[in-house]
Amino acid sequence: MTLPAWMRSRWVVVPGLIAVATVAWNVHVAANATGVIEGRVVDAQGRPVAGATVTLFNRSFITNDPRQRTLTDADGYFRFENNDSHAVQLEAERADRGRSERRTVRLWFRAQEHRLAAPLVLTAR
Amino acid sequence: MRRHFPWARHAVLILVSAAMLLPFYWVLKTAITDENIYAYPPRLTPLDPHLFNFVDVWYLIPFPRYLLNSAIVSALAVAGNVVLNALAGYALTRHFPAKRLVLLLLLSCMLIPFQATIIPAYLISARLGVLNTHLGLALPLLSTIVCIFIYKAAFEAVPKSLIDAARIDGLSEWRIIATVLLPLSKPAIATNVILAFIWSWNSFMWPLIITRDAEMQTLPLGLARFLSYLEDTTGALYAFVVMVLLPGILVFLMAQKEFIRGLTSGATKG
Repeated sequence: MTLPAWMRSRWVVVPGLIAVATVAWNVHVAANATGVIEGRVVDAQGRPVAGATVTLFNRSFITNDPRQRTLTDADGYFRFENNDSHAVQLEAERADRGRSERRTVRLWFRAQEHRLAAPLVLTAR
Repeated sequence: MRRHFPWARHAVLILVSAAMLLPFYWVLKTAITDENIYAYPPRLTPLDPHLFNFVDVWYLIPFPRYLLNSAIVSALAVAGNVVLNALAGYALTRHFPAKRLVLLLLLSCMLIPFQATIIPAYLISARLGVLNTHLGLALPLLSTIVCIFIYKAAFEAVPKSLIDAARIDGLSEWRIIATVLLPLSKPAIATNVILAFIWSWNSFMWPLIITRDAEMQTLPLGLARFLSYLEDTTGALYAFVVMVLLPGILVFLMAQKEFIRGLTSGATKG
């Protein structure tokens, strides 16, 4: 079976492929835009830090503004929900253990579910 | 040279092509890195390439809205061009009183810069009530004189006997254009589509004047706005440039064969 000539035209095939890719991407986004960002905080020796305050900064045009804060659990894990940004920064701090470097996380779309590959490391300052 | 040194000709062509493509490469390279375009010493290859600058552009400004506005305006301009220019081109292939005067008038109008017509165009648009609308944005681009002449040349290349036969068969003038002339003038249509698309897509001055809301702005205006916010010459700005350029390049690549044929047909006629 051969397709009609107009269906094989590049004026139909190229926009058609773009439309299919757009729909597929939007389905992927809808399935993964949970707004969850998870990670872990450890000290310089790699031990989990409980009770550290983790701050999530949202990127606006040229500044990063603090939007959410949470505390780590007994195993040093933290979890943010309802993140609606595509570019965030994370920073952890505990008064007696120091502060981590601010980690930039760039996402492929807003509210993308993300788990930090490497933990935030507190260092005394 | 051609017979003895074919490689020399190719080498020269490759060098010239590379020189022409280098600025585009530099924009693309900057778009996929966080380097400054003026960084010294310059690097030829991208350092840590990524695509997140494109994501930034999509979300930091209302890019989808600008894209939609540009797409609507370009679609209106292309449709208007194809229809109106074909009708005007056909009229110029017919004999009528003062035809030479009309041709002279059209050619003279090509000499007037668009900037000189902005005030009357604005007043007419205001009187029509199309300020700050998609139709208003597309209105001055609905017909272009260059493309009228491209259609005229294409229609004149169609054998007159074919048109006479169609007329004897009872076809009206409208149907002669739609069913005889236009199907035989695909290169002219492709040329018109590409030129109308690129002109409307890149149009800056007219949208700047006629739009009042940020919601009605098109991509070139968005680009200027983005630059004024960012005041930066690094990745995101050039990612925006690439995103503005891509549709035009895509349309050109799809129609390039017909485009070249459309521009050169009739060029060697005696």
